[in-house]
Amino acid sequence: MSLSKLRAGIAKRTGGDAGNFGALDVEVREEFSSVVLEGRVPDWRLKVELGWFAAGFGYKGVVNDLEVEGIEEERLAPSFPAGDRPLEGRSFDVAIIGGGVVGCAIARELAKWKVSAVLLEKEEDVAAHTSSRNDGMIHDGFAARPGTRKAAYNVRGNRLWEPLAGELRIDFSRPGSLVVFGSSAAKAAYPIMAARAKENGVDGWEFWSRKRLLAEEPNVTDGQHGAFFLPSAGIVSPYRATVALAESAAANGVEFSLGTCALGLEKEGGRITRVLTNRGDFRAAVVVNAAGNWSDAVAGMAGDRFFSLHQRRGVEMILDANAGRHLNHIMAMPSLLTVNRKTKGGGLVKTVEGNVLVGPTAAEAPGRENYATTAAELRELEKHLRLNKKLSPSMVITYFAGVRACTYEEDFIVERSERVPNLVHAAGIQSPGLASAPAVAEDVVRLALEALAATKRVSRNAAFVAARRAAPELRRLPFAERAALIAKNPAYGRIVCRCEEVSEGEIRDALRSPLPAASLDAVKRRARPGMGRCHGGFCTPRVMEIVADELGIPLDEVTKKGPGSRIACGQTKAGAEGGRQ
Amino acid sequence: MIPRERRDVVVLGGGPAGLAAALAASESGSDVLVVEREERLGGILKQCVHDGFGLVRFGEQLAGPEYARRYIDLVEGRRVAVSLETFVHSVRREAPAAARRAAAADGDPGFFVLTCVNRDRGVFELEARALVLATGCRERTDRQVFIHGDRPAGVLTAGLAQHLVNIEGLLPGRRAVILGSGDIGLIMARRLTLEGMEVEGVYELKSEPSGLSRNLRQCLEDFGIPLHLSTTVVEVHGKRRVEAVTVAAVDQRGQVLPGTERRVACDTLVLSVGLIPENEIAESLGLSLDPATKGPRVDQAGESQAEGVFVCGNALHVNDLADYVSESGEAAGRAAAAFAARNGAPAARGRLVPVKAGPGFLYAVPQFVDRGRPGKAVLYFRSNATLREGARFAARAIGPDGAPAATLLEKRYAALRPPEMERVEIDVALVPVDAAAVSLELERKEGLRG
Amino acid sequence: MAETRKFVCIACPRGCPLEVDAEPDGKGGFAALAVRGNACRRGEDYGRAEIVDPRRSLTSTLRTEGAAERRLPVRTTGGVPLGRLVEAARALDGLVARPPLKCGDVIVNNLLGLGVDLVATDDLSAAAAADQGRKPAWNN
Repeated sequence: MSLSKLRAGIAKRTGGDAGNFGALDVEVREEFSSVVLEGRVPDWRLKVELGWFAAGFGYKGVVNDLEVEGIEEERLAPSFPAGDRPLEGRSFDVAIIGGGVVGCAIARELAKWKVSAVLLEKEEDVAAHTSSRNDGMIHDGFAARPGTRKAAYNVRGNRLWEPLAGELRIDFSRPGSLVVFGSSAAKAAYPIMAARAKENGVDGWEFWSRKRLLAEEPNVTDGQHGAFFLPSAGIVSPYRATVALAESAAANGVEFSLGTCALGLEKEGGRITRVLTNRGDFRAAVVVNAAGNWSDAVAGMAGDRFFSLHQRRGVEMILDANAGRHLNHIMAMPSLLTVNRKTKGGGLVKTVEGNVLVGPTAAEAPGRENYATTAAELRELEKHLRLNKKLSPSMVITYFAGVRACTYEEDFIVERSERVPNLVHAAGIQSPGLASAPAVAEDVVRLALEALAATKRVSRNAAFVAARRAAPELRRLPFAERAALIAKNPAYGRIVCRCEEVSEGEIRDALRSPLPAASLDAVKRRARPGMGRCHGGFCTPRVMEIVADELGIPLDEVTKKGPGSRIACGQTKAGAEGGRQ
Repeated sequence: MIPRERRDVVVLGGGPAGLAAALAASESGSDVLVVEREERLGGILKQCVHDGFGLVRFGEQLAGPEYARRYIDLVEGRRVAVSLETFVHSVRREAPAAARRAAAADGDPGFFVLTCVNRDRGVFELEARALVLATGCRERTDRQVFIHGDRPAGVLTAGLAQHLVNIEGLLPGRRAVILGSGDIGLIMARRLTLEGMEVEGVYELKSEPSGLSRNLRQCLEDFGIPLHLSTTVVEVHGKRRVEAVTVAAVDQRGQVLPGTERRVACDTLVLSVGLIPENEIAESLGLSLDPATKGPRVDQAGESQAEGVFVCGNALHVNDLADYVSESGEAAGRAAAAFAARNGAPAARGRLVPVKAGPGFLYAVPQFVDRGRPGKAVLYFRSNATLREGARFAARAIGPDGAPAATLLEKRYAALRPPEMERVEIDVALVPVDAAAVSLELERKEGLRG
Repeated sequence: MAETRKFVCIACPRGCPLEVDAEPDGKGGFAALAVRGNACRRGEDYGRAEIVDPRRSLTSTLRTEGAAERRLPVRTTGGVPLGRLVEAARALDGLVARPPLKCGDVIVNNLLGLGVDLVATDDLSAAAAADQGRKPAWNN
């Protein structure tokens, strides 16, 4: 019944009517408990809109296989060739596919149990994709649509982050978020906002008068009518959080196999038995799908593709650290909140490092790993600067793009597969994925242990150490402590990155962490050299030198992000052969 | 308790400006210490292996390291103290200590205290009567000129490319596109070519080249490397390593002309898109910056509006020649030594007469003339446009009534180009004691008739 | 037949625009007749030379062994014929500089028989003995 309604609606949207099923060649059918869209549409935007539309008919998921002229279907493939097969023939209780914040949080949660676990990440480091390409907000949970899994996980995750950050020894701040009333109409919407916050179970909200707003945020632009304040909104560094989760998991026995891409899942009797990768095939009793923008592809490998993803880009700008003193809270504009139900609209975020982050944008665009930015996207972001009198486009030091992994239902999928009993999905984790990750991890591990119970009795890992052994950050230590550390280890006294005040010793620590960095980007994620205003112009050769020394490789083999991304292509004065190939 | 070392003058930076300042201060009798962040003295000159340095100072064409070596040898010869691989964490002013306050003169501005970090001494403090900022400049990055597209390896600034090639002996790639026709970009076009790389072309957003004419000749024309004016790089392609860039023509305002985009295969993008004085420490000391130079405002000895803080070289404004960098370092070093020698006694500083650069100037340095410093004052300026037909320059003292009170200098130029800095001298004695300003005028030759 | 060539003087940073009247010398080359636009004697010399026998000094680096630095900067003591500049640059590929060297030390006499020497443009000192403290242990 609903299928015929859905067909009629799609026909209308593709230029046809109920009798003549669309001017376009679109097929709709049910499969398992999902609805499948097939055929061809002229543009990607229409494909996404039809997917959204189909999501409103009560199916478990929308599998949107519509082809779009000129846009190739993307295939999950290794990012670079593997040189070895260390996983070949091995056996694990749990294999986690994906080293983003969700996969790493699951790995650490799993480390609390006596299981053998491996995490597969196709890049040379964890947090290489969406987890290093977001604003770091630990959202309050107000913006998510009431009743969604997103809303529930967000509020739960928000509560978990502060103690977790303490265990991980990473910065966590809770500046709170201000939804500024730009008009008296926006101000009048306060009761609606409060009702929503209440419904979502958000931890506190306040009405701020214009006077209070000006007192707390003196640089807010003139003409604001007050604000809706959500004190529970917090901030972490998303990539440092992900790396810290991974380090803690690794230190507690989870194996991390980097540069490892899942190529297939072999099944016997409806259960996954083997995981096929470019670094060897191995047995796994339970598989966790935390593959981010590829989670639908991984589900497909197990024959359980009941949903599909579309990509929503988010572009953000980072302002110079000097800008941080002009901002006290996270800030957003209310008009944007209501305009687009798919996103929270972006704003200004003061990062834990004191920079100001502006954004993100939210626009559907194809490309699971398309991080190219455009000038138009930056222009769009400049509007957020108008929230604060002291901020200007000249403060921009860099900008980047991320891609949200969105289902057409626009909600998270956290469940044990209905078709494959030893597969657990943590899929479609878009915003607020970072905020939700600790809560998602708890549930995924519970589901994984249930799945594992069929073959194994699992007990708690009594040896689990919650506190991460964190390397010192000298710039944050009192002078006496700093001096003592330098006396013990002079490399802490040699500042390599002057903009961010990072010493040689800290870079060496990053290269020796429980999940060691092996590229410049990975070092940057752990110790920050090159993150400052000169963007590595000064420190890059020095960091390369330390990386080469620690890894025991020639200087010209140092990479930006793993094989295929060398900084240099050879040596000068290498004679007739013209440098190493 | 943090250990503290006392000096008369501390110089921040051991490049050409800092070395000249340290030498001059030492020769003036000061006890000087140079703080250098790198493992060797010489600053950026260490990697400038090309020649052309020293024509003004030494009448010779020296390579960069050779030019630096002359100063290093002199500095070492005078046993000037040097603290290498040392990071300046912060700088603050401190009132004279109680023990010394009794002896201190009224109005004693006190001392500068620098908190420093290095391997051997850990955390320590340097105390100085006078501070010379010779911290050089840094390069603008691809983000600051808003290049879009992917973020692969193979995008680097010209200075980083120069360091990799000349110091580390690394070849950045096989085929390079250079964005920006600044001097380092031009020098690197030649350097990469001589090391066996192919330089596909140099692209310049502006309608005129940014570098010196002679570098266009000897770095591009000699090797047949094309220069594409009014053209820029709009996008980088390549997931892991640069595979190509998109270049496009731009209009007079730098806006891309649609339809002119062209894909250029390359594995390296080198950026030479401008230099910015390093002014973090200056800003932390509350010095006001000149928006035109992006360096602090100073008088003819490099003294900023904060007493006892002297600024020189590229930290002050980006110079075209190392010779002028050394010259400004010397002036600052001498003046810093004199300041320190007063040991807190009331400053002999005279009235600061603002230097006002009129229309036609990109900027002029210094921004003030101190009437209390007798002798010659060296002024540097750049025109804001190319004046091929020539121009007439004049420096006039403006009286309290706003009318010209004295002509300090008049000079004709056959041609002026923004990349080429000009240097003039005026006699401070000619500036009336009550002068309201020193006004700089630039008149195009076309306007000179009659 | 005489022709006028225009180019920028590279003798100093001033970069005077030169005009040089050139005439075939009957031996396959050119002779310079008059130089205009120069502000000094060096410009005139350069202008003539550029017609008769254009030369450029070569600046580059050498590989090092046993030294504190990976490369030693070098230059030629005079001009190398422009047409042989790349060849001269390639000739440095096989050379190795060993410390100690002082700035100005001659590394190669009469490079490629071109009548110019190759000299060091910086000092080169020996590598320090095993540099203590460069390899800290993970220590907390």
